[in-house]
Amino acid sequence: MTTFALPGLPRTVLRLHRTALIVWGTFVAAVIGWLVWLNTVTADRGEREMAYCEHHETCNILTALNYSERTGYIGTLVCYSFLAVAAWAGAALIGRELESGTAKLAWTQGVTPVRWLTAKLALPALLLTLGGTALVLAFRWGWSAHRDLMGDDWTFADVFVARGPATVAYGLCALAVGTLTALLIRRTLPALGISLAAMWLLNFVLERHRGSFWPTLTRTSATRFDLQNGLWQLTKGHGADGYYVTYHPQSHFWPMHLVETGIVLAVAALATLIAFRLLPRRTV
Amino acid sequence: MTDTAGLALEATAVGRRFGARWKAPAWALRDCTFKLAAGRVCAVVGPNGAGKSTLLALAAGLLVPTEGTVTVLGTDPASARTRVGYVAQDKPLYPQLTVAETLRMGADLNPGRWDAATGERIVADGGLDPAARVRSLSGGQRTRVALALALAKRPELLLLDEPMADLDPLARHELMGVLMAQAAQHGTTIVMSSHVVAELEGSCDHLLLIGGGRVRLSGEIDDLLAAHVRVSGLAETSLDPHTVVEARTTGRQLTALVRPSGPLPESLRTSTPSLEELVLSYLRNPQAPGTTPAEHEKAAI
Repeated sequence: MTTFALPGLPRTVLRLHRTALIVWGTFVAAVIGWLVWLNTVTADRGEREMAYCEHHETCNILTALNYSERTGYIGTLVCYSFLAVAAWAGAALIGRELESGTAKLAWTQGVTPVRWLTAKLALPALLLTLGGTALVLAFRWGWSAHRDLMGDDWTFADVFVARGPATVAYGLCALAVGTLTALLIRRTLPALGISLAAMWLLNFVLERHRGSFWPTLTRTSATRFDLQNGLWQLTKGHGADGYYVTYHPQSHFWPMHLVETGIVLAVAALATLIAFRLLPRRTV
Repeated sequence: MTDTAGLALEATAVGRRFGARWKAPAWALRDCTFKLAAGRVCAVVGPNGAGKSTLLALAAGLLVPTEGTVTVLGTDPASARTRVGYVAQDKPLYPQLTVAETLRMGADLNPGRWDAATGERIVADGGLDPAARVRSLSGGQRTRVALALALAKRPELLLLDEPMADLDPLARHELMGVLMAQAAQHGTTIVMSSHVVAELEGSCDHLLLIGGGRVRLSGEIDDLLAAHVRVSGLAETSLDPHTVVEARTTGRQLTALVRPSGPLPESLRTSTPSLEELVLSYLRNPQAPGTTPAEHEKAAI
């Protein structure tokens, strides 16, 4: 076995949060493994079922349905993984340390509170970024591999987040918000609940306003019409020039996604800043 | 400041207030002034809620004083962090680590200072399995691990908050011996708070008595004992102009603990009080005037 020449403080942080490290690593590996299995083992059978159905009256599309449903689950897991991060950061990473007094134990070893908090944030941030990036890349590949078997599109709330860096941004934001909540409340269970609620609320608000993060396009017509699939329709109505629909084409995915990522990262930066400003008041 | 050399701990008019400003804040410690020379073993005694833990946390740099200054090893408490060992009253340790991992954490967090042999010896002397998880240890075993962590850091100043409270008499005696050996061998200054005065007599040479958030007595134990006399005699004997700490009359018999300010009346029988008698007299009489004799401070420095 190789011994890594990690400095003492990061090594201690990893030792303390070994369980979380293992859970996160297992989650990332399991989700990627599941995607690979779905797309290499089951997708072909799903495609054969669909092909058979085109020429027969009665047919079975169970494998195709399972493929679609499970890929949907994976998108949900990847997108909302930040909720688990928020709970963990509020409770296990910081809250428990403050409640049980073990933070004081660290601060009376040769470690200042600022270095302690830096290590406590930097290491999880690194691992969340690495794991989150792997999840996003895997999901982008898996989600686009067999579009003909899938019933969803890019506008679905979880698919929208899981297909880009917003997944990583939400994870980092959950880490910062959980830390800030724990520093404010200093008790494990309330910090867990409040940081979870705060991150859920942030996601809820951004999800509601996602459509306004980029200017919409408008299509008008003298007669009633429907947009084709793959466009995100926002409003629809009847005005002076006839019927109109405002919508986002798929090319708006990246600008909208990056605006949301930027907002989430700004919240994360703000929460981190306040957490560090709060620390000297909690101790020297 | 030239007189901080050789001082392990100095408090000047230190106060610490808890609670929000708008909610009737309570002072845990107020106007606390004392000096402790390096190399001393100092007992901090006082009733529950007297401010002992607050004082130790201030010295450890875990709390900032609301007013006044604390000087530790010639610098501020935060800068002295690497040279100070601290064991909190509830002995916080990471429950998920094993005993060996806890010591390894100490080595990781105190680079250049850690004395692995000392830590391992203290743990082994208690018959602790290095592979045992901290969450499975008894209160006394946790105390032992916490002390091992503090001592292996080779601190110049060791702050112990009620260190012996959950140890059996045998372990208490043994660990007190380890502490005293450390003090003698490395010149470590030790400040420990306790309820049990008897366990401090014979090991400590300096006393800091805190009551109501203030310092009531501070000085070398020998000097404090020499400055007080236990007297007994007839009830009508006047004790003026001496300072009376505690006086009791039983029938026609008077017994009192006094701080003489000159020769005592010859009709009184006098004896030297024990440390426990001295401390209890002050604790029983919160209004008794305290003393931090200037000559004792000079002698201490």
